[in-house]
This record gives sequence, structure tokens and C-alpha cells, in this order.
Amino acid sequence: MEAGTQQTTGGGRSLDRSPLSRLPDRLVRVGLTAISAAILVLLGYFFIKLTIEAKPVFEKFGVLNFVFDNNWDVSKGIYGALPLVVGTLITSALALVMGVPIAVSVALFLTELCPRRLRGSLTILVDLLAAVPSVVYGLWAFFFLIPKLKPAEQWFADTFHFIPFVATENVAGPNYFIAGLILAIMILPIVSAISREVLSTVPPDQKEAALALGSTRWEMIRTAMLPYARRGIVGGSMLGLGRAIGETIAVTIVIGDNPILGHSVFDQGYTLAAVIANEFNEAASDPLHRAALIGAGLVLFVLTLLVNSIARLMVLRSERQGARPMTAAAAEGL
Amino acid sequence: MEVGALQPRGPLPPVSGRRRRADRFARSLLWLATGVAIVPLVLVIYYILSKGLGALSVEFFTTDPTGDFFGAQGGVKSAILGTIEIVGAAALVAVPLGVGVALYLTEYGGDGRLARAVRFFVDVMTGVPSIVFGLFIYLTLVLAGVGGSSFAGWKGSAALALLMLPVVTRSAEVVLQLVPGSLREAALALGAPRWKVIVRVILPSAASGIVTGSLLAIARAAGETAPLLFTATIVKATTFNLNEPMNSLPAQIFQDLKQPNDELVQRAWGGAITLVAMILIVTLIAKLIQRRSRVQGAP
Amino acid sequence: MTKRLLGAGLALALAIGVAACGSSSSSGGGGGTISGAGSTFAQPIISQWGSELKKSDGLTVNYNSIGSGGGIAQFQANTVDFGDTDSAMSDEEIEVADKNGATVHVPIVFGAVTVSYNLPGVESGLKLDGETIANVFLGKITKWNDPAIAKLNPGVELPDTSITVVHRSDESGTTALFTQFLDETNKQWHEQVGTDKTVKWPTGTGANGNEGVAGTVAQTEGAIGYVELAYALQNEFTTAAVQNKAGKFVTPTLESTKAASEGVKFPPDLRFSAINASTAPKAYPIASGTFVIVYEDLCKAGKSEETAKNVVTFLDYGLGEGQQVSEKLDYAGLSPELLKASQAKVNGLKCNGKPIEAS
Repeated sequence: MEAGTQQTTGGGRSLDRSPLSRLPDRLVRVGLTAISAAILVLLGYFFIKLTIEAKPVFEKFGVLNFVFDNNWDVSKGIYGALPLVVGTLITSALALVMGVPIAVSVALFLTELCPRRLRGSLTILVDLLAAVPSVVYGLWAFFFLIPKLKPAEQWFADTFHFIPFVATENVAGPNYFIAGLILAIMILPIVSAISREVLSTVPPDQKEAALALGSTRWEMIRTAMLPYARRGIVGGSMLGLGRAIGETIAVTIVIGDNPILGHSVFDQGYTLAAVIANEFNEAASDPLHRAALIGAGLVLFVLTLLVNSIARLMVLRSERQGARPMTAAAAEGL
Repeated sequence: MEVGALQPRGPLPPVSGRRRRADRFARSLLWLATGVAIVPLVLVIYYILSKGLGALSVEFFTTDPTGDFFGAQGGVKSAILGTIEIVGAAALVAVPLGVGVALYLTEYGGDGRLARAVRFFVDVMTGVPSIVFGLFIYLTLVLAGVGGSSFAGWKGSAALALLMLPVVTRSAEVVLQLVPGSLREAALALGAPRWKVIVRVILPSAASGIVTGSLLAIARAAGETAPLLFTATIVKATTFNLNEPMNSLPAQIFQDLKQPNDELVQRAWGGAITLVAMILIVTLIAKLIQRRSRVQGAP
Repeated sequence: MTKRLLGAGLALALAIGVAACGSSSSSGGGGGTISGAGSTFAQPIISQWGSELKKSDGLTVNYNSIGSGGGIAQFQANTVDFGDTDSAMSDEEIEVADKNGATVHVPIVFGAVTVSYNLPGVESGLKLDGETIANVFLGKITKWNDPAIAKLNPGVELPDTSITVVHRSDESGTTALFTQFLDETNKQWHEQVGTDKTVKWPTGTGANGNEGVAGTVAQTEGAIGYVELAYALQNEFTTAAVQNKAGKFVTPTLESTKAASEGVKFPPDLRFSAINASTAPKAYPIASGTFVIVYEDLCKAGKSEETAKNVVTFLDYGLGEGQQVSEKLDYAGLSPELLKASQAKVNGLKCNGKPIEAS
């Protein structure tokens, strides 16, 4: 720690500060704490209110049945959300698998490889992906992507039919895959932007040290940058995942909105967020249905929480294991 | 950090062909990935331009929608102004609050109970669908007629602020955590009070990341329809009174897209172009301000 | 330098604000404003009526098309001045609204739900009956040249294409009307699926909104879907001639939609459905009315006297000149007896016990 080893020049004045001069500090501390506590209360109220609204459906079916029953039949008043939960998980997983590697690669490109003249404009272009409203993404995917990709999807399903969850006779137009794809595009800007920020704060000496020790550019990235940035990248990906889990309108348009458990990624499905969007307008006047939809929202919260916790755990564990990521990997690289 | 502290062991081994190939391969992948990321953007922009360019005209920007199906259908002025008002108000609330909470979490909260609880809730909120925020505000503010009105622009802002808050907080937190501890300690060792360290050292070094995160949150909020349908609803006339129902671009686009009328559908796409352009402008302005302030010598 | 830039930006924003301020009229001025919410089916009509009223009376009508259920909910919550729904409110729904006063249903126009298909080589007017349509939507009939379809259409060349069923994924009054027809004409549909604003579709692909279904049908060869007449016309779809109660096969047109209200018995509170009800030979069977819902005593329900007057002006217009305007938008006006009954309902609206004098 450098601060400790250097000589302080401030001398006496920095050591005795009057209580009055400590006041701004205290104000800031109290202020920020108060804000956070207030936000906590607000968010807590948010959950409590929604839980109360959702109670009728939990009372009628029981929480476990609501989440794990495979039967969402509105006209009969039966609400089992399993196909929705599975659909949410599948599309979000697809979005992460397709979106995060590309987003991080783009971030790496922009910070390390991009020619300086192009950097500004390319950065803005990538960030511009976030400016497109979700309904536009949905419609573009519906009218443009789906017809264009259908033959390729069918070919893929036929050729790689031995991979589980791929084979299907008739590739549906709107399906899990397209939903995952469009979600990947939508989470790209935020994951990329945060990764970019994170990667640009890697201390230059760390990078130079790796290069000086003879590693190639890629090895330097792999050993000096990525481990340092890992936590931040995961944080960014979790934000992207949150978006993917909660995205409503775009998914509604491209997933087929069929409350069944598809056998293949090219089948139609449904997600928790999409069902809320599709049904809430009409459900507003039916108390049980409305409760069911809000219950679906609550399940979403729990899902987000679970995934976020798992991600945090994974990061913590990998940080503990590779306690000195620099040395271990550096040795490996040479 | 001095690299010279290491004793050189003689000439470094030459980089093997395998490693060089791996390097080249990885680099080309990165180029490719960037290309892949840009492709959908180009396609989408081309698509909305082709569908909506025809709707753009002076009238489009200066008249309100009339509801007429034949003849003069009007433009989307009330929607544009409404979006600026509603999203602006939401950002004014969400960005400072979000950064404040992030500061608390990184500087003061640490691992305490309050911090952990806040982090927990904020994390979960990032996954809430936008429609649920709208519902919450509908249930708590609209139905109860808070403020003397049922539907109101500011209630739409409230829903959007709720949407933006977790994103701003989390992205700011990620970036603030990256400010090197050495920087903080150096400033403190020089005798600066905590708050000055925050304002003069920490915030400026994290500024670019915070601005980026906030811009992304704003962009997201500006494009969301669902939270507004139950809170600010949709009207035709322009209004500057946030306590009244207010139009917005996403709501107008959403409604126009559903019409069995080709001109109205085209107007919807024109609205989409406008929305994207508006967000682009805000992004550019923010980046410009950032660059200027950086040039002026902030760390 | 930054400060100057910021200052310039602020000045610019202020300038825009002032300019916009000056050029627009505030929303509350002129002839007043009323707000409604509900069915997307009725949105074009209400929107057009609103624009005509703005020109003639200065009255602004804001309408949020969030669906019939949403309209009912907001009506019950009393956050709008009127609602609109494609299916009449049920007894339970009316009970909820009772806290604000008695509910009045005012039918305003009739609309048709077409059975549209995308089959190159086959023209409009393919004859289908409810039984067959339901079997298609049940997934029992999977090819266009199925004997059941061929039987109804002797002489028509039916290709060997697979049928792609397209249905709504969002809840909608349109779905309620369509499934009601299937429910009444096909026993298996009645037992297995039933009728509602959204059902568990045995087969097919889902799309959002009338425009989503229309888009999917337009893109997919061999597709069959149900969309409102206006959308079928906009996309120039080929539509089926559906068998009505009198046994005739009728295509959806303005006249056949209007005929759907002939001979239908209306209860005194006008909560009816005309699906498969009219015995008129020219009646299109999948057609019914959309209802504006208001409180009988608007002022007791919390509306101002001015708002009450404006609502009545709006309804008077709709049931008067508005009927011709509807036809231009491919919605059928009401039959003479229904129109009279509807107008009587409007005349019966009160403000604090007194009848309302429309301006």
C-alpha cells in the first residue's frame, strides 16, 4: 500500500480537525445512509404490496403448485406456471450464452485492438443498440429475422438432431431461439459498456508487465486483464441477465406465446414476463387472474435473485481459488 | 511498480508459432465479434428508416395527433415533448438517487446489514419486467388518486424512475468498486475529509462509467411502453403539466402500430426513428461534456 | 468551457420549451376533454369520432386501447369517464362497479371477425362452417385439401398445403367473440377448449394483436387466422364465407355485419351477444357489437357536470352522424331497433338525478 510507505507532508494540520470541519463528512454519511434506507423501504414496500396482490392465487393453488404445475389455462382459471418458468430460463440462458461472449469480445476489441480513430464512433454505435425501443426489436425480429432465419434453423435442427433439445419436425416461426437471439442483442450494449469500463481500469502497469515478460497480446489479455476484470464483467452480465429475464414486449412478439413445454429450442414457448404483458390488460377486471399475473412477477423476482446469488458465489469462489490470478496465469503463459 | 526488480534471466525465449497463431486467432475473433455486434444495429436502423422515413415531415414534428383516420392525421409533437418531460423527470430522480445509493454501498456500507439488504433488493429489481413497475404505480398512485389526478405524467416518471434505479445503482457500484484503493488512501493520507475524497477523487475517476450506465438506463426508460400505459396513459394534446395525463413516444408508437391504417403504421415507425435519434443526441451531448471535463484536467 | 456549453444547452432547451408552449393549446381549453379506455376493436371508431368532434365542438376524446378487460377494470376503478368492451360485462363485474353507481351498456357499432387465409390460387369466399373451422383450430384438420373442406366446396381446387393455424396470444375481446362461435358450433371445442378472451389453443402459432395475426397470415402460405374486418381489408386478405344460423354461407362485409343484428332479441339492459344469433339469411355469424360502458348517474359517480355533458355529446354524436362515419372505417352501424334502444339508454343518463342536456 503506497500511501503508507510515503512520507506525509501535510503535517500537523491534517491531524487535528475541528468537529465543525467534520460536519460535512457526517452530513454526507448520514445523507447517503438515509437515501439508501429510504430506497430500501420503498423496495420493501414494492414487494410487500405485490405479494399481497398475488395472495389469492397462492392461497388457491399453493405456492409450489403455482410454480411447478405444467398447466396455464386462463379460461378454466387454472394457473400452473412451469412452462413460463422454463421458458424464461431457456431464453435468458440463450441470451447470456450468445450475448455475453460477444459483448465482452467487443469490449476487449474497443479497449485493446481498435485503431484510435475508429474507437469513438464504434463505441457510440455499440451503445446505440440500447437506443432502439424494445417494441422495435420485437417487430424487426418478427418481420425480418424470423422469415430469414427459418430455413437455417430447420437445416440446423435436421443436421444436428442428435444434440438434445434441437431436433424438431417443424421449426416454428417464433420460438425460444429467436427470443434468445433478440434478447442477446438487447443485452449486448449494457454488458459491453460495463465490461468496457471495467477493462479500461485495469492498471496499465499490470498490462505492461505481462507484455514485458514476453506474452503475446492475447496472452496479456487473458492473464492480466480478464482476471482483474472478472468481477466487474460478471456484474455487467448480471445486469444484462436481469434485462433478459424481465424483457416483456420484444419477447412477447417473437416467442409464440404458447404455454407449453417445448421439446426443442426451435419450438414455441412462453415466458413469465410475456404472459403478464399479454394478459394483464384483460385480466385487470378478474381478481384471480390478476393475482396470478402478479404472482408470475414475484416468481421472476425470485428467479433473478437466485441467478444473481449463484453468480456472486461463483465469482467469490473463483477469486478465492485463484487468489493471485496474475502470477499463476503468468507462469502458465510462459 | 518496478519491473526492473525482477532479475533478467538472459534473452527471453522466442514466441512459439503456436502462441503466435493463438494470438492471431483470438484477435481475429475479437474483430469478428465486433462486426457481428454491429450487424443487427445496421439492419435494425435500416429497417426502421425504410419503414418510417416517409412519415417524417415538418408536420410530423409540429402537430399533435388528431385521431383522424382519413385526411390530416397529425404528427407526434405531444409524444415527443411528453417523452422529454417524463423521461427527464425520471432521470432527475433516478440518477442522483442511484449514484447516491451506489456511493453508500461502496464507501460506507461495506458488508453491513443495511448494505446487504439494499444490494439484495436492488439486484432483484434489475430483473423486474417494466410492466410490473407500471402496475405497482397504478395500484398505489393512480387508483388512490394521489396528487388529485388519476393518470399523470409524473406517475409515469415514477414508474420509469423505479425501472432505472436498479440499473443506475448497480452499474455505478461496479464502476465505483474499481476505483483503486490506493487512490482513496492517498487522498485520505493527504488529509482530505471523506466527502472531499468522494467528490474530488472518486466520483471524477468513476464519472465516465457512471455516465455510461445512466445513459443506458435512460435509453431503456425512454423506449418502454408498458410502464406508461397504466400511469401516464395516452392523450393527444401537448401538455406541460406533469400532473395531467401525458402522451409519450412509446405509447404513441404502440398505439399507431396496431391500427389497420398504413399511414398510421408508418407514423409509428417515424416515431421509432425519432426516439432513436433523440437518445443518440442525448448520448452524444453527454459524451461531449465528459470529454470536455476530462480535458480540463480532472483525474 | 463546459459551463458555457451547459449554459448554451439550457438556453436552447428553454427556447424550445417556450416556442412549443406558445404554439400549442393547453389540453383543458376549448370544448373540454373526456377520457376512455378499453377495447382495441373500437379504437379506430372512437378515435375518428374524437377527431370529428374536435373539429366541430372542440371536444377532445382521449382513448387508451388497452383491451376490453382493461376498459372494464378502469371503469370499475372510476379512473376514466367511459369504458369500452366487446363482450358485455358479467354480473360479477357489474357488482364490482356498483359502488360507483348503476352501469349502462351503450352498444355503438357492430364489427365482424373474419376467418382469413393465405392460400394462393384460392379466392375469397371459401365455404366453411363452424364445425369445420373449429376442427381446423383443434388441429384435427391439417391439410387444406381435407375431405371436410372439399365437401363444402365442390369444384374448388384445394392444394395439398399444410394448414398453419394462427391465433391471438394476447387476451382480447376478438378472441372471445371468435371462440364463442366455435363453442356454439362444435361440441368437441365446447368440451375441450371453451370460450374466453384467451383460451388454451390446441394448436397453432400465437401472435400479438390483430396486426400480429394479420402479419403472420400474410407471411405464411397456408395460414388461417381470425382478424377483424378492418385488418382483413387493409391486408387484402381472402376471407371465408361462414355458415350462419339460417344455413347460408356469408362473407364478411358491411351489409352482412349490419344484418347480424337483425332479429336478435335484446334484453332491456342491452347486454347481448350477436354471435351466431341472427336468423337473417344475409347475416354474418361471427359479428357482434362493442359497448361503451358509463355510469347511469355520471355526476354521482364523481364526474363534473361538464364532463357528463361532454360524454353525452360524444355518445349522441356516435349514435347519430357517427354511424355513417363508422361505415367508412368498415364497421357496421346498428340496426334501426338497436339504434333506438341504444339512444334511449343515452337519453336516460343523469347528472345528480337530473337528465343531461347535451350541448
